[in-house]
Amino acid sequence: MQHLDEGTIHSWLDGSLSADEAARVEAHVKECPQCASAVAEARGFIAASSRILTALDNAPRGVIPAAAPKRRIDPFVWRVAATVLVVAAGTLVVVRSRGSNERLMSPPSDTAALVTKATASEGAATAGAPTTSPFDHTVETAGVSRAPASAFSGRGAARNSISGAIKGRYEAPREDARLGVGKAAGAGGVTAAAPTPPSAAIFAPSQIAGAVAMDAAEPQQLKLVGTPRRIGAKVSLYEVAPGDTVTLTESVPVQLQQTVVTGATASAVSPQAGRKAAPQARALTDAAARGAAAADSQPGANVQSSSGAVSAPAPAPALEMVSTINTIRWNDPVTGATLILSGRMSVARLQEIKIRIERERAAAAAKKNP
Amino acid sequence: MTDVERLFRTYNAALVRYLTRRLGDRDWAEEVAQETFVRALRQTSIQNERAWLFAVATNLVRDEARKDMRRRKHLALLAEQERETMVEPEETTLERAQEAAMARKAVDALAERDRLALLMREEGLDYSEIAEALELSPGSVGTTLSRARRRLVESYEALQKDREAREKNAAS
Repeated sequence: MQHLDEGTIHSWLDGSLSADEAARVEAHVKECPQCASAVAEARGFIAASSRILTALDNAPRGVIPAAAPKRRIDPFVWRVAATVLVVAAGTLVVVRSRGSNERLMSPPSDTAALVTKATASEGAATAGAPTTSPFDHTVETAGVSRAPASAFSGRGAARNSISGAIKGRYEAPREDARLGVGKAAGAGGVTAAAPTPPSAAIFAPSQIAGAVAMDAAEPQQLKLVGTPRRIGAKVSLYEVAPGDTVTLTESVPVQLQQTVVTGATASAVSPQAGRKAAPQARALTDAAARGAAAADSQPGANVQSSSGAVSAPAPAPALEMVSTINTIRWNDPVTGATLILSGRMSVARLQEIKIRIERERAAAAAKKNP
Repeated sequence: MTDVERLFRTYNAALVRYLTRRLGDRDWAEEVAQETFVRALRQTSIQNERAWLFAVATNLVRDEARKDMRRRKHLALLAEQERETMVEPEETTLERAQEAAMARKAVDALAERDRLALLMREEGLDYSEIAEALELSPGSVGTTLSRARRRLVESYEALQKDREAREKNAAS
C-alpha cells in the first residue's frame, strides 16, 4: 500500500472512513513508521487547533455598534450637539437684530450664511422628527427646547440628527453650496427651512438615498454607498460588487461659507436619508458621525467602518477581503482637483472603475449644467 | 413553534460558538444564530437539521440579513434564559487576551472555506454535514480539514514565536 495522504489520515482520525478503509489505514500505520509519525503529527494538529479555537470563545460583546444595546451616546456627540445649539441661539440674536427686511431680500452671502446656519441647527435638533415646524416662528424654542426632547429621545434619532448636522457641515461641494443659498433665499429664506424640497438639497444626501433605494437593482452601475466627511476633500464610497468597495477622494478647498451653508441643504433631507438607511445600517450614523467629526483622522479607517455598515450584503470586511489596498490618482481635467481612488482590488480593476466613475461624473455634470 | 424551540435548545449553543469564533463578537453571533432559527421556522421540512442550520448561518453572515425583529425578541428571551444557566467564563487575564488575539489572527489568516470547515468540525459536524453545508464533495473534506489545521497551528506558532522574540528584546 502507498503511504497515506494527510487528508486520509485526518479523515481516519475524525472517524469518517468506512470500516474497510479504516481497517486498511490502521494496518498500514502499524507497519509504516513514516505514516505512523504522520499520524502522530496529525493528532498534534487536531489537538492544537482545537485548543487555539477555544481561545476565541471569550469574544467580547458589542464589537459592532449596532449590537450594543446599552451604549451611551458618545460624549463627543453631546459636545457637538451643544455647539450646534449655541450657534443656533447666537444666530437667532444676529438674525433678529438685523430685522426681517434683509432676510426676505436676496441676501449678500454673509447673511445667507448666518440664516442658513440657523436652519442647519434647527434641522439638527429636529432631524429625528421629520415634521419640523417652520423655522421662523421661534428658533429659540425650536432650536433649544426641542433638542432634548426630539434629538435625544432615542438613540437612533439622536445619532441620525447629529450626524445629519455634522454631515451637513462638511457636505456638498462648492457649486451646490451656492445653489443652496440661492434656493433657500429664493424660497423665502428662513421660513422655508424645513420644507425646502429635496431638489434644493442637492448632492450627497440625495445620492445616498438614491443609492440605497437602488440597492441590488443594477449590478453594473457603481453604487454610492457612503460619503464619509473630511475637511478639504470630498470622499465618496462606491460599492462595485457586494462587499467590494472603493474610495474616491477629491481634494476640495474649504471655505467657511460653504461649510456653513451646506448645512441647510443637508439638514432638509438628512432625516430621509437617515431613515432609508437605518434598517440596514444602524451603525452608519455612528460611524459617519465619528468619521465626519474626526475629520483629520485617517480616511481609510472611516471608510472601512462605514462601508461595513452601509452596504448590507457586505460581510465582515476584516475577515474576508483581500489584504492589499491599491491606490491610483489622477487629475480631473475640468476642475483640476486631484482624485484618488483606492480599494482592495487590483490596479487594473481600479482603472476600470475610474473610467466608470469619470463617465458618471461627466453625466452628472451634464445634467447639472445643461 | 415547539419544533423551532427544540432546534434552538439542541443547536443554539454550538451555533453561537461557531459564529462567535467566526465573527469575533458574541452579540453579533447571537443575532445571526437567532436569525437562523427564524429562517428554520419558515421551512416546512429540513433534511439534515445541523447541516442546514450551519449552512444558513454561514450564508447569513455573508448577507448580513437582519429581519423579523418580533420573532427574534422571543428567541432573545430564550437566549437570555439559557445564558442565566451558563457559567460565565473566568475573567480574562492579559495572557489570555493575548492568546485570544493571536488565535483570532491565525484563524483570520485561513482561507474562508478552510476556516468554516474547521469551525464546523469543531462543533461536531461530520464530514457529510460539512460537505453539505459548504457545498464541497465529501471526499475533499479530509483534505480541507487537514490543510486548515496545519495552517492554523503553523501561523499560531509563528505568531507565538514573534511574541516571544519581542518579549526577549524588551527584557534585554
